[in-house]
Amino acid sequence: MRNEIELEGIIEDYLNGKLTEAEAQAFEQLRLTDPSVDHKVVAHKVFLESLNDYADVLDLKHQMNQAHAQIDVEGLSKKLGPHPSFIVNLWRKNKAAIAVAASFILLTIVTIYSIQQTTQQTGTYEKLNKEMNSLRSSTNSLIRNVKSTHSVKPNVNPGKFGGTGFALSSNGYILTSHHVIEKSDSVYVQNSKGESYKVKMVYSDPVNDIAILKITDSEFSPLAPLPYSLKRTSSGMGEKVYTLGYPKDDVVFGEGYLSSRTGFNGDSLAYQVAITVNPGNSGGPLLDNRGNIIGIINAKESNSDGAAFAVKSKYIAEALNAIPQDSLVRRIASTKKNQLQGLKLTKQIEKVQDFVFLIKVYK
Amino acid sequence: MSNKLSSSVPTDREVVLGILNNSEEALNKLYTGYFPMVLQFILNNNGDEDDAKDVYQEGIIVLYNKIKSGNFELTSKLKTFIYSVCRRIWLKKLSQNSRKTKDVSDFDDIISVEVDLEEHEEKDQRFEKMQSALLNLGEPCKTIIQDFYINNLSMQDICEKFGYTNTDNAKTQKYKCLQRLKKLFFQH
Repeated sequence: MRNEIELEGIIEDYLNGKLTEAEAQAFEQLRLTDPSVDHKVVAHKVFLESLNDYADVLDLKHQMNQAHAQIDVEGLSKKLGPHPSFIVNLWRKNKAAIAVAASFILLTIVTIYSIQQTTQQTGTYEKLNKEMNSLRSSTNSLIRNVKSTHSVKPNVNPGKFGGTGFALSSNGYILTSHHVIEKSDSVYVQNSKGESYKVKMVYSDPVNDIAILKITDSEFSPLAPLPYSLKRTSSGMGEKVYTLGYPKDDVVFGEGYLSSRTGFNGDSLAYQVAITVNPGNSGGPLLDNRGNIIGIINAKESNSDGAAFAVKSKYIAEALNAIPQDSLVRRIASTKKNQLQGLKLTKQIEKVQDFVFLIKVYK
Repeated sequence: MSNKLSSSVPTDREVVLGILNNSEEALNKLYTGYFPMVLQFILNNNGDEDDAKDVYQEGIIVLYNKIKSGNFELTSKLKTFIYSVCRRIWLKKLSQNSRKTKDVSDFDDIISVEVDLEEHEEKDQRFEKMQSALLNLGEPCKTIIQDFYINNLSMQDICEKFGYTNTDNAKTQKYKCLQRLKKLFFQH
């Protein structure tokens, strides 16, 4: 017992560095030779450290409690605690978040604005029906001449608005853009030979900008079978396309390629076509070089040249379904084979032009 | 952040040097300086003043031990460190009591303090072991041990205080108490 008390005294002194150098060396020798002593030293060391830490923390807590007593906790709580008002609370809690959100929104607005500056098609969308009165160019008089001399039925009142249309069937169903014949009093169509016929509107779809007219004139003799066919699937970018239309009183050919699968500002109803078109081209057929109608020219971008838009052909197919099917004689086919396939462009145009009409609208 | 901390806050350097020199004044300044920040955090996150006191004192102990351990480097502002530590401690307490923890309302930046807290938890466990061992030790052993090891009384003082006839008796008594305490401490 006494020995053990002394041993512990020595261990404590050893750990606290109170032994003389000689004593310490002797003790270390003892540790090496006697594992039980060594074990006691290690255990006591851990214990003393824990006890010291304990004392430190206790002391620290005591000091902190004293400091704590000096603080006006209640007063602070009132100031810092949750505010009774929900709004103030929300504001306090989310101040940082609101600030972040606000700056994010600001940034977004700025970004979108700058993107719009660069990527939005800034040009306005310009429908291509022709207001004949407003054409001040020399072609204006030319139109009048043609009109008065060649019409089978001369019009006392010349057409004020014009567009293009094309035959959907041999018996006089003609497709054009809705906006061409919109709000019209009466509509006439004129073929490439200059013969005019009265038509009535049988279908119109302002959303897809499609209208179907029917020639009601008794003078009208049925057309030959349609040379072109209707493509129901969509066409790819880069597809070579052409159109025939009446920006003036004679049929005009325009060639280009499909430049985007979507129309004005991403409008999925339409294609964007790199083609030169003018007022009067609206309602004209857009054909690929295998004689398939892939769309209807209906607008162009006013600011940039060669960016026109065409309603996709699948909407023609939808419009066709709206017409009683037995009334369509030799209607437009949607087969892949047609008379134009393999023909040279000039030959194709020659064949197609008889089926493309000038639409004359009186308002 | 949303409310200006009114009490004067000592500089970080002042605090570190003060703690290293065992300056009571530095500790006081530190304690009163940052308490409002933690109080605000706790009050706005489902806690009361007592929770704030407990959490804050634990946070200060973590800082204190970190500084005392000698390898303390100021990688962030003390304010941020204290805030992060207290925040972590409080969130842990909340989840232990399965109280609501989502939508934490924050009032300051946060840094990662996981390593510091792991060390602290180890120390805290030893503290609690020692506390319960002392508690189970009973009197007069507890007081004798505390007087000798914590209050640094000499054997002579203890001998007189407890009325032992001579210091050898007191030594023997202390030895017995210490053996029991060690047994209690190590058995857990």
